[in-house]
Amino acid sequence: MRFYAALTLAACLAPAAAIFEDDAYHIDFHYALLGRPKHEATFFQKPYAGSKASLLYSISHSQTIGAINPKDGALVWRQHFSAEPHVQGHLRSGSEQDTVISAVGDRIAAWSASDGRLVWETTTPGAVVEDLEILEQEDGMTVNEAKDAIVLLSGTSQGVKRLDGKTGQTKWTFEDTSGDAPFQVSTSPTTVYYLSIHSPMLGGSKLKVTYLSPITGKKIDQVTLSSDAEITARSHILFAGANTAAPLLAWTDKANKVLKVNIIGTKNVASFNTPADVIVENIVLHAPNHVNSRSHFLVEYQTAVGHYAEVYHVDLKKTTISKSYSLPELRSKGTFTTSTSDANVYFTRITEDDVTVYSSESYGVLGRWSLKHSLATAGAYPVHGASEVVVKSGTASAVRSAVYYSNGQWVLHRNDELAWSRPEFLSGSVSAVWAGLPEEEALAQALEEESHRNLASAYVHRLQKHIQDLQYLPAWLQSIPTRLLGSVFGKSKGAAIDDIKLDTFGFHKLVVVATEDGRLAALDVGSRGKVLWNVDLHQFAPDANLNSPSLKAHRGYVEVKDPSLTGSIYINYTTGSRASVANVKEQVLALSEPQKLVSFTLVDGSLKGFLESRSSSEPLWSFSPAPGERIVAYTARPLQDPVASIGKVLGDRSVLYKYLNPNIVLVSAVIDSAHTAAVYLLDSASGQLLHTMSHSDVDTSRPIPSTISEHWFSYSFTTAATAGASSRGYQLIVSDLYESPLPDDRGPLGATSNSSTVQPSSSTGDVIKPYILSQSYQIPAEISHMTVTQTRQGITNRELLVTVPSLNSIIGIPRHDIDPRRPIGRDPNAQEKEEGLAHYTPSIQWDPKWHLTHKYEVIGVKDVISSESGIESTSLIFAYGLDIFGTRVAPSFAFDILGKGFNKISMLITVAALFVGVIFVAPLVRRKQINSLWTIP
Amino acid sequence: MHISIPTLATLVSTSTAARFLLQIPTTANLNPSTLPSTTHATLQSSGPPLDAYLTRSNTFNFANVSAGSYLATVHCRDHIFEPLRIDVSLEEAVEGSGDRKEVVKVWQTFLGNEWDNKGESRGEGGNGLVVEARVVGTKYFYQERGGFSPLSFLKNPMILMAVVSMGLMFGMPKLMENMDPEMKEEFEEMQKNGVLGSGSTNTASQIQNFDLASWMAGKTTDASSANSRGQSPAGQAKKR
Repeated sequence: MRFYAALTLAACLAPAAAIFEDDAYHIDFHYALLGRPKHEATFFQKPYAGSKASLLYSISHSQTIGAINPKDGALVWRQHFSAEPHVQGHLRSGSEQDTVISAVGDRIAAWSASDGRLVWETTTPGAVVEDLEILEQEDGMTVNEAKDAIVLLSGTSQGVKRLDGKTGQTKWTFEDTSGDAPFQVSTSPTTVYYLSIHSPMLGGSKLKVTYLSPITGKKIDQVTLSSDAEITARSHILFAGANTAAPLLAWTDKANKVLKVNIIGTKNVASFNTPADVIVENIVLHAPNHVNSRSHFLVEYQTAVGHYAEVYHVDLKKTTISKSYSLPELRSKGTFTTSTSDANVYFTRITEDDVTVYSSESYGVLGRWSLKHSLATAGAYPVHGASEVVVKSGTASAVRSAVYYSNGQWVLHRNDELAWSRPEFLSGSVSAVWAGLPEEEALAQALEEESHRNLASAYVHRLQKHIQDLQYLPAWLQSIPTRLLGSVFGKSKGAAIDDIKLDTFGFHKLVVVATEDGRLAALDVGSRGKVLWNVDLHQFAPDANLNSPSLKAHRGYVEVKDPSLTGSIYINYTTGSRASVANVKEQVLALSEPQKLVSFTLVDGSLKGFLESRSSSEPLWSFSPAPGERIVAYTARPLQDPVASIGKVLGDRSVLYKYLNPNIVLVSAVIDSAHTAAVYLLDSASGQLLHTMSHSDVDTSRPIPSTISEHWFSYSFTTAATAGASSRGYQLIVSDLYESPLPDDRGPLGATSNSSTVQPSSSTGDVIKPYILSQSYQIPAEISHMTVTQTRQGITNRELLVTVPSLNSIIGIPRHDIDPRRPIGRDPNAQEKEEGLAHYTPSIQWDPKWHLTHKYEVIGVKDVISSESGIESTSLIFAYGLDIFGTRVAPSFAFDILGKGFNKISMLITVAALFVGVIFVAPLVRRKQINSLWTIP
Repeated sequence: MHISIPTLATLVSTSTAARFLLQIPTTANLNPSTLPSTTHATLQSSGPPLDAYLTRSNTFNFANVSAGSYLATVHCRDHIFEPLRIDVSLEEAVEGSGDRKEVVKVWQTFLGNEWDNKGESRGEGGNGLVVEARVVGTKYFYQERGGFSPLSFLKNPMILMAVVSMGLMFGMPKLMENMDPEMKEEFEEMQKNGVLGSGSTNTASQIQNFDLASWMAGKTTDASSANSRGQSPAGQAKKR
């Protein structure tokens, strides 16, 4: 096996089209996203005691914990839990701690705040963490060591646990068997409060507060608050304050008319009427989260058109709550953030236009900045945020706020300017399609118009178009010198990327992305994923909840479909606005006369093919796998799959004809009990079975990704740990389809003079069955998705793009290295060497040079799509899911474009030197020629 | 009832679970504290693999590992780690005592080989076993750009050969001219004698015109006779 290892290493050393170091970070881009940040779990915090700068921590709705550098918005670290999506995530951190503690599902973990390494982790099997708090003080004394965490669990073992801050071990457990719905925990210096909602059989719910001793976890007291009428649902509870000197509990009634506040630990409930003259849609309570800070809080009232707020003070001695001052109503949407400095509490009001800092003491404005207009937040309003305020001698000298906007951008305002923006709405992309550039589309449309006219008018039209184009000539001529100079001496990087107009190589292509939040955005892959527009689809369909939209690209617009939507929405992809209906209707799928479109779907566990033209008709064909088998996936050959050559030329100049049926579908089915998987190759036009392969010892609970391209297909699976399994790990199977096993032979097609597998419909009788060559390889990690690169003509070699979630990478395996014709058990002979076939090795190590993502760590990839670019050598790649990643690859090297390595200056010098040489040599040569003519031989 | 007892027994046996940790040692070419926090280790058997994150002390902690045979892999952005086979089983510490304890056995394993084809043992023990996860390579993602440089152009063997032959062609006559007459004479004589250059043609002609009869008769050629003349016994005698 050492020998094999050496061989694979040698295979790795063979040249592969990798990324050039100077191209990395220029041709590719990566949005390392977190997702929509959770309001109460987003905070600024110093990564360790004594640190000068703080980081911004957050856990998102997609269970990703991350630390972000507030300076530039770059991700410092993140950890993603691939748990079920509807679990609540929690993130807390004690002050002056070097850890942050998270709880997702049943996993509670402490992470090193500066680098994201795990400190400890515990699980609570069968229970779900409902709430998490840090015990800041114990017996009124601030804890200097690692602060303990208090967790509230629901599920099979409901109760409260105190976890050691150093090791994560349970110090005590309070078990609650009352059957109440656990709601939250809250701590004060002396007591741990456990809040639950008690729902008796009759009447409304009651709020139950259980007092626990922080040292022993024993129940000290229990109070039931009379909240009968108001609380019927959890959403009516506005706030259950944590860790303040006076933890608060606030709730409201259905109509948002009365606000009731209780200082936890007392029985009194203060009641305040909300302003009567307006309809309050939502009430948000903002309170400081610090033990030592003053117990002031702010109540924000959101109305349909604007918002306003009231600030309340809590008198701890008298345990009374009184209103201090109110902030004026603004006719625009905004949000408030709370920040503390020592004991002082500051409230920052962030609206669409400005940022204002107030002290909790009085209504005086400490600082105000009007925000500069920026593209990222245009047309959106702030939803929630977190702030840091610097106050010097009574005035706020600086403020920075990380604000989540309604358009899904997470931005940081540093005083009046926008420091950075993170397009967090792109996380959770569920569908993406390629779209052409606006100019190209316009040209294509103009040319198409000509094709419908007669010759004369088409000529006039063309002439007119050219005359119109003349107006751009002066500008173009003017741009030539700068372009020339720029291309010779290397222009500034920004200009090279942003110039969307100057798209000579067709690298600028749009990708339209739909997210699970019902947002649609267009990104320019050529200019490092710049977001061109970003719209909320709900504005086009107000009553649909678009959470799994799927896209389809047409010329000039994209079609959005969703299960909750009747019909489709058409969006013009150049502007992001709704496409006009007239425009949409004229575009019908153009098919030549004898062709028919067959679509197929999975119905009741069997695959059925339908004629597209006749909807809801009888299925043309139906395919059911063997009894007991369950179809897990099916893949079809892509519609756009150009093939350069119909045969494969072998070393001895004979040809193996490729089987190029455009209608092949790969169906994978499994039997869970027997750990077997079967792969069926179907002809989707007739529904006939072309080929079957089956594998034993397959882990059927893991994905079986597959792809088809040109004349080959591949799939991958995980080997199950059954007793009989001879090997373990993950396998990749690659199969080639040929018309015949013999070279220079067309198999069954040989007899007919004019038929091909490319157009099986014109050939009579049954579908010709292919000859299949397969090889399988052991691969080092599991593949979750695979696809193939696409180029314009299909001349360039293909690369199999595999997504490896455990490495957070996308790897492009050259198709050459997984050729099923690799000789087994012997060295390749001269002819095979000429073809470039290497000795077969049972395992493939992933060459680091194959990693398209190189140093990027792309997590949560759902799908990878590829598209042709303007030049043959290069294919554009776009990956989406939680992260967004885009790059371009040249599997056979960039043979039709000059790379950065080409030194234009040295070329010019060489040409000049040759020219000088010619000038010097010319007289000599002339003299010699004359002499040779005049000398007598 | 008869069935329930063995099922209960299996339940008991599977409910106890092993705990061990993989540790990344500090080596000359790897300081594990520099590893990115996304480094993680998986234990794969069937179903979703067990996952462990990298801790501050450069370990991966696996707790509650039920009995079975696992493929352990450390996934890292920058380095390649050796795959391991980890077997967790319940064994009786003392024969017949009924006191079963978790035993963890770790070996090297090789991808593309039979699972039973184990390599070197990397540790064996009970709960809390510490196993080293060794680095086998560093990933280098980028391709060097083969830029044009005059030096690399000169390193080409064809160019080198051409340059050398050019040097000989043009340099030799110059060299001959600059030699002092005596040396030149000597050199020419040497050439004639076949030490240099034309020597091979001389021997070739000698072989072609080999006179077997005269050789048999003991006749010496001119050249050898000239040689023998130089080393004449008379001269030797004189020296003596």
